[in-house]
Amino acid sequence: MAIAGSTLSAPTMDVIDGWVREAPPTSRVLAAYMQIINLTDGYLTVTGVTSPDFETADLHRTVVEEGVARMLPVPELTIPAGSSVTLEPGGLHLMLFDPVRPLQEGDSVTLVLHRSDDICITLSVPVLRGTGAEHVHHRH
Amino acid sequence: MQNTTRQATRKRFLIGGIIAVFAMLAGTWSALQLRDRTGHVDELAATRFPVARDISAFELVDHRGKPFNNASLQGAWSFLFFGYTHCPDVCPTTLSVLNSVAQQLGSDAGNVQFVFVTVDPERDTPGHLARFVSYFNSDFIGVTGKSEAIEALTKQLGVLSMRVASGENPDSYLMDHTAGVFLVDPDGKYHAVFMPPFTAEMLVTNFRKMREDYR
Repeated sequence: MAIAGSTLSAPTMDVIDGWVREAPPTSRVLAAYMQIINLTDGYLTVTGVTSPDFETADLHRTVVEEGVARMLPVPELTIPAGSSVTLEPGGLHLMLFDPVRPLQEGDSVTLVLHRSDDICITLSVPVLRGTGAEHVHHRH
Repeated sequence: MQNTTRQATRKRFLIGGIIAVFAMLAGTWSALQLRDRTGHVDELAATRFPVARDISAFELVDHRGKPFNNASLQGAWSFLFFGYTHCPDVCPTTLSVLNSVAQQLGSDAGNVQFVFVTVDPERDTPGHLARFVSYFNSDFIGVTGKSEAIEALTKQLGVLSMRVASGENPDSYLMDHTAGVFLVDPDGKYHAVFMPPFTAEMLVTNFRKMREDYR
């Protein structure tokens, strides 16, 4: 995955298996999923997300309690040293509101993760259809 | 000498006994393994009712504007899911899974219907639902109606929903809602429920087992 914007010479964060789910023609809210890996020996905190392709973007978590799914805003996401956090369908995800252009499978969108250390991570992720199960592949 | 023979006999008996116990355990173990290998499901991942429950009268409308009521649930197995079209995560994920279920059932899906019932009738008109469900599968059925009419069905299945404000725009609210997949049998009775997380494979295997038992 293309990552740019880091001003440090050594990479501090890796983001893999990122994708945005193509929305049905009725929806103006999309969800993005990915795995964020902390390559440092300290914790890293993602405090927000922005995108030139959407009006607004937020970090959310779907929780299911006694069978009821609800979405809770996640103010910040802390990734422990040498660890990773997975954003996946039915769990943590980025909510992307009001795309500025029609998006369909094959397109790619730009997402910017903002960190508490003022470093921004810019990603380019594909728009895909489906459940996610068919997209995620293991990397070594 | 005799003593030694008796001890040796006892020892052999003891060893034989231990071997027998091990053989029994091994036999049981391999039987369990074999059963696993045949893919036989003893434990369902669904909650199935000992006696399927009646669904009392409800009157809704499908995405083509046709009535959708108890009669619509007769003569086919129905997978029911409750959600809303503005839902960004759980609903598209579940409908994509249900589309995989339809594909895995293949020609077997002839006697199976997939029904998406909105818990957000204010925004989900039949026309809106038509575009939403057909995005996932052209055979899927979208169902809406007046709030009270939808409640007549959701109450019976224990489906809950609640509107939650999101952001500054009052029209961009979210809905908390029960995310189970409900199975209604060809008698139109509430047969079983699956609770998330689920995969298409799990739904298909469990459904086939329940359908077999039903015959």
